[in-house]
Amino acid sequence: MSYWARRVSGAALVLGMVLALNFALFRMMPGDPVTSVMDPDFSPEARERLRQVYGLDRPLYAQFALYVKSTLSFDFGVSFLTGRPVADELRSRVPNTAALLGTSLLLSASLGTWLGMKAALRRGSLLERCVLWSGALSFSFPSFFVQLVLLMALASALPLFPLRGSLSVPPPEGGWGFALDYVHHLALPVLSLTLLGFGGWAIYVRNLAVKVMGEDFILMARARGLPRRRILLGHVFRTMLPTLLTLLLMSLPGVVSGAVITETVFSLHGVGRFLLEAVTGHDYPAAGAAFFLLSLLTVACNLLADLLYSVVDPRVRLDRSAR
Amino acid sequence: MKGLARRWGFWCLVVLTIAAILGERLFAASPGDQVAAPFSKPIWLGRYLPPTMELRLTADSPSATLDWRYSPPSGLSLRVEGPAGETGRFVELVRPGSPPLRLAPVREGFAADGRDIAFKRSLGLPPFKDASAHLFPERGEYVLSLTDGPSFEGSVVVRLEGGRYGLLGTDQRGRDAAALFVTGIRVSLIVGLFAALLATLLGTSLGLAAGYLGGWVDAVLMRTVDLLLSIPLLPVLMALAALWGRGLWQLVLILSVFSWMGTARTVRSLILSLRDAPYIEGLRGLGASSGYILRRHLLPETFPVLLATMTLGVPGAILSEAGLSFLGLSDPRVISWGRMLHEAHSFGAFAAGAWWLLIPPGTGISILCLAFLDVGKHLEETADPRLRRSRT
Repeated sequence: MSYWARRVSGAALVLGMVLALNFALFRMMPGDPVTSVMDPDFSPEARERLRQVYGLDRPLYAQFALYVKSTLSFDFGVSFLTGRPVADELRSRVPNTAALLGTSLLLSASLGTWLGMKAALRRGSLLERCVLWSGALSFSFPSFFVQLVLLMALASALPLFPLRGSLSVPPPEGGWGFALDYVHHLALPVLSLTLLGFGGWAIYVRNLAVKVMGEDFILMARARGLPRRRILLGHVFRTMLPTLLTLLLMSLPGVVSGAVITETVFSLHGVGRFLLEAVTGHDYPAAGAAFFLLSLLTVACNLLADLLYSVVDPRVRLDRSAR
Repeated sequence: MKGLARRWGFWCLVVLTIAAILGERLFAASPGDQVAAPFSKPIWLGRYLPPTMELRLTADSPSATLDWRYSPPSGLSLRVEGPAGETGRFVELVRPGSPPLRLAPVREGFAADGRDIAFKRSLGLPPFKDASAHLFPERGEYVLSLTDGPSFEGSVVVRLEGGRYGLLGTDQRGRDAAALFVTGIRVSLIVGLFAALLATLLGTSLGLAAGYLGGWVDAVLMRTVDLLLSIPLLPVLMALAALWGRGLWQLVLILSVFSWMGTARTVRSLILSLRDAPYIEGLRGLGASSGYILRRHLLPETFPVLLATMTLGVPGAILSEAGLSFLGLSDPRVISWGRMLHEAHSFGAFAAGAWWLLIPPGTGISILCLAFLDVGKHLEETADPRLRRSRT
């Protein structure tokens, strides 16, 4: 199999498992799905009719096929709670979640890489010790605790940032005012996620850079009299790049999980909080759809990371047999 | 063991475990009871707030003088205890610069609260505010006394709710936050330890199977690991917690089913490196069965590493439990640190500025996690002394 066939089939497998999990979870819920929308006084004929309408009289594999087909065409059914199509509810939320996660991941990765490189260059300095500590702390502080403290300090006690929501109510008129308001609401969540995320990155980058800098080809580059900057960017960082991409790829599921918590703390209008509300409200179609979308986001990012990986490390594109 | 005693994390865990075992026995009231006004501050904070006080007036000591140097109390209640009958006496309050005010008749079984509308109306106070703010409007000397009358055997208890209570104040229901904090240790420890233990058992058996049997078993198991590591787990945990019930043990089960992957990978790679070692080959040549080799030789080899991975896995379970509780997906009757943070976030601690409900549970979780990480790192170094070099 070629590189791309393997990658895409892997992604399809993940999506397939997510769909199966979704379907199974939906089946596990207490009672028949029909009972939740039906009056107990319904006659048996009406009940049977309703079961037919929902396709519940068909065998399980047919139901699963139907479910997969409708989910893949983004038809998630109607929310139990609001009575509106789930797809409409989600459409307005996906950009918010993507903006939150994308910005914070970009910021924490770049800040962490920069600090980690600095720390690796200055072994034993105060900066290195700070980086090591910040990494250990970011692993053991619960994200929601740090966010709650930030929220209390910077939004409640010192009202620099809004306390809740993705936009002011009512949202300001005009393009610039709207954009500014959006950024203002997003600033604290992104700041908190960056604070929580950069430590792990910095530690990883520092360890990797220290290892790479001990290699012979770096010594060789130095002996050739190459400028420091060029050694750092062209040799050290270039060697680290594929590994860093792997790290990015592996951190994605955790980042997406973090969206649920962050959006709950800051009451953002996003997919994560929608998922929480759906789960606590036993709104199964909505919960399944939100879970599917979050997984889809992860899988899509994974594929993107694979694409980047094959650009920075072309060896992976080679067939195993060809090598 | 000697090295362990020099680790701060070990002693931290010892102290926390003792606190978890003693639990609510350290406190006079049960942690679920209301002990003071909601959102009372810690006792060492806010000297302008009155502490909670209870005054007892009897026929022998019919008056009490209060040197009031605080803002108004946050609540007031009054009850008559013991045989009283119709005494014709009254409870009177003398405020600085105002005539005496008759608060209530001393009658058997009489009880009143500053929030009762009938009580406020009898005093001519506005019905929508707490009576205590009107009765104690300013600083100065207040005298509470019983008027003269026929003999009276019982006593009148006047309780003034303060704005300060205990080491850590109170939460939105007036429960002692210090008692809640200490009770919460137990949940974190139980969930963390048992989830990590179960996950390690699961991961070890699957890792052993994958590593030793190889072939399609290995392929299937390792693909499953890859799959589980590439979907966001929190949503799955949320759905399971909501569907499966929210009890402590269900949570332990859910967490362990989704956190065995790391251990399985470690054990598998360890077994792969050992499987073809000369002494195993020798054993096989001597006719030892697979079960015997696994049980007596391969499994013991993995023990030190397993102990370390288990300890290092505890923080993950603790953080997951705290996260789920914070999202409100835990049993509301079980007090845990995550639940405390959930209630602080959802029930108005922010509006009340009650940071004392936020900082203790959060730092508690972090300290517990750091302690387990510290001990785990020590165990890891013992299992693999090469790691020790990297500390310098």
